[in-house]
Amino acid sequence: MRLAFGDRTIFENLSCRFARARITVLMGGSGTGKSTALRMIAGLQRPDSGKVRVAGDDIVGLRESGLQRVRRRLGMLFQDGALLDSMTVLENVGLPLREHTRLGDAEIRDAVHERLAAVGLHDVDSLLPGELSGGMLRRVALARAIIMDPEIVLCDEPFSGLDPPNVERIEALFQELCHDRGLTLIVTSHHMASSLRMSDQIVLLQHGRAVSGAPGQLATRGDPEIKDFLGADGAALARQVASGSAS
Amino acid sequence: MQKSTTRDFVVGLFVLAGLLAVAYLSANLGGLSYSGDGGFELVAVFDDVGGLSQRSPVKISGVKVGQVKGIQLDEDLRARVALDLDPALELPIDSSAAIRTAGLLGDQFVSLEPGAEDELLRPGEVFTYTESALSLDKLVGRLVHGDAFEEE
Amino acid sequence: MSEAVRPGTVQRLGGYASSWVVGLGQMAAFAGGIVTAIARPPVRFARVVRAVFDAGVLSIALVCGAGFAVGMVLGLQGYTTLVRFGAQESLGAVVGLVLIRELGPVVTGLLVIGRAGSATTAEIGAMVSTQQLDGLRMMSIDPMHFIVMPKALALTFVMPLLSSLFIVFGVFGGYVVGVDLVGLDGGSYMASLENAVEFRDDVLQSLVKALVFGALLGVISTYRGYTSPPHAMGVSRSTTSAVVTASVWLLLTDYVITAFWGV
Repeated sequence: MRLAFGDRTIFENLSCRFARARITVLMGGSGTGKSTALRMIAGLQRPDSGKVRVAGDDIVGLRESGLQRVRRRLGMLFQDGALLDSMTVLENVGLPLREHTRLGDAEIRDAVHERLAAVGLHDVDSLLPGELSGGMLRRVALARAIIMDPEIVLCDEPFSGLDPPNVERIEALFQELCHDRGLTLIVTSHHMASSLRMSDQIVLLQHGRAVSGAPGQLATRGDPEIKDFLGADGAALARQVASGSAS
Repeated sequence: MQKSTTRDFVVGLFVLAGLLAVAYLSANLGGLSYSGDGGFELVAVFDDVGGLSQRSPVKISGVKVGQVKGIQLDEDLRARVALDLDPALELPIDSSAAIRTAGLLGDQFVSLEPGAEDELLRPGEVFTYTESALSLDKLVGRLVHGDAFEEE
Repeated sequence: MSEAVRPGTVQRLGGYASSWVVGLGQMAAFAGGIVTAIARPPVRFARVVRAVFDAGVLSIALVCGAGFAVGMVLGLQGYTTLVRFGAQESLGAVVGLVLIRELGPVVTGLLVIGRAGSATTAEIGAMVSTQQLDGLRMMSIDPMHFIVMPKALALTFVMPLLSSLFIVFGVFGGYVVGVDLVGLDGGSYMASLENAVEFRDDVLQSLVKALVFGALLGVISTYRGYTSPPHAMGVSRSTTSAVVTASVWLLLTDYVITAFWGV
């Protein structure tokens, strides 16, 4: 999978690729275009020039109907869940099935329960999104993102505003999805520790360029910009991760 | 599911109430349901119909018995008014029709005065005796010129 | 000084005017999008019912109460004016015609703009700012079809129903004042009303107005929400602008329809 775009304002000649069945974290300070990059992969925003390839198909020139075909293979976890707040959890998670399949109520309910169980939730069917805590909301949204069994899940800032236990829980979920179900995950985050811990690859966006590498590699490179971004704590963590994977 | 059924029911009630209101306005007030066909039609010819219009009421002794179906000019350039009346009505052949006003400035209507003959008016026949609308401006004009009580 | 100011002002006015025309074109295209969405399967019956509940059922108390109050005022004002001419027997006609031809559709329209139109804009605007519409797109569900069309459709069809309820309650309010309080004859109130009202000129005009106003405020309130900037300030501005735009358009359209009806 290859991704390249040239966006006048945010990045110029940015180019990076994401590996299949791996967790890639897009990192970078605010305003570097992490979320924009993610939205371009999803086809929600178009680059001013350049190509976005999802599993071989260039999606930039596609019309809405073509995008819909590509999006069948994508799931997206939005920053604040983006659940429809007039619908219950059951209705929200089951919505793609109701829209795009001919499954009956009972089958949809079973499928929803299966996904909710996968993210560690039970007995939340009739709750409204407004009644959920931040961590639960994120997990319900994740259940909705994987209801159609996508190949790729895009996650926009899944850790923002969560407490450490919830961060760890979602981290574990991501790893399970990737390693057990073989999904490709592309995650944007500025949450240093979790990103270094869970990712197979890190793409660092800075000053309109992308630097990518395995989490352990990043720290050992001499690039001053990376050092600058990671800071002392981050560098220590990265070294720790690197040595951990080595042993 | 329970909740959504209740909502559907309430929405149904609302639509029903709204449609009833529309029906009331159209049928009762708008007079849409009144069918002019099959009624008992008579014709009266007047020199001046004043403010009489289609659907103006037709009354006998103040009781509504029908309405004006149409107003046209006939070949003598007089107003030919078609009246749509209750078919059960039995009017003697020498009955008369007059245009009157409810109150000083109210709506105008056709008032029928039954005659005394035994023979009855048949559908489509014309009233022999008519009395035209009392025109307020003519009346004022006559008052101003001092000949208010002269015969026309 | 004034020489220097003048061209700038003219240019700015020209800029405003042309951007206004562009906005009008975009709104028309949006309305076209709603119409084509209606024709596209699947039928969003449950979504429309829900929107009718939000826009219609929740407005009933307001509309009926307002109709009754307006009818009472009309009864009182109409009576005090008519009695000077000795024409108080025509009170029913005055109250009924004013309500059916003008106040029913117009006041109901303004009330629905304030009650349901603003809520529609704010709700869709909030959905934009919390990425709920993008969420739908990611699930290959067109938000125009799933969110916008049912709401616009519901507002359109709810208006004639609410307006008719407003009129019926208004006529009743006028009756309460004219007959129960002032002491006119109830029969002559209803008789003058029934004699004065024509189906084509009055009732049909009233229903057409209400339907057009409903379509207008349905399109404007959904459009403003859909194009709302994705933050709280933007949503609040869009809501205000939806109320103002819809009200002005409603009053202008009212004149145009009245003039074209030729009565």
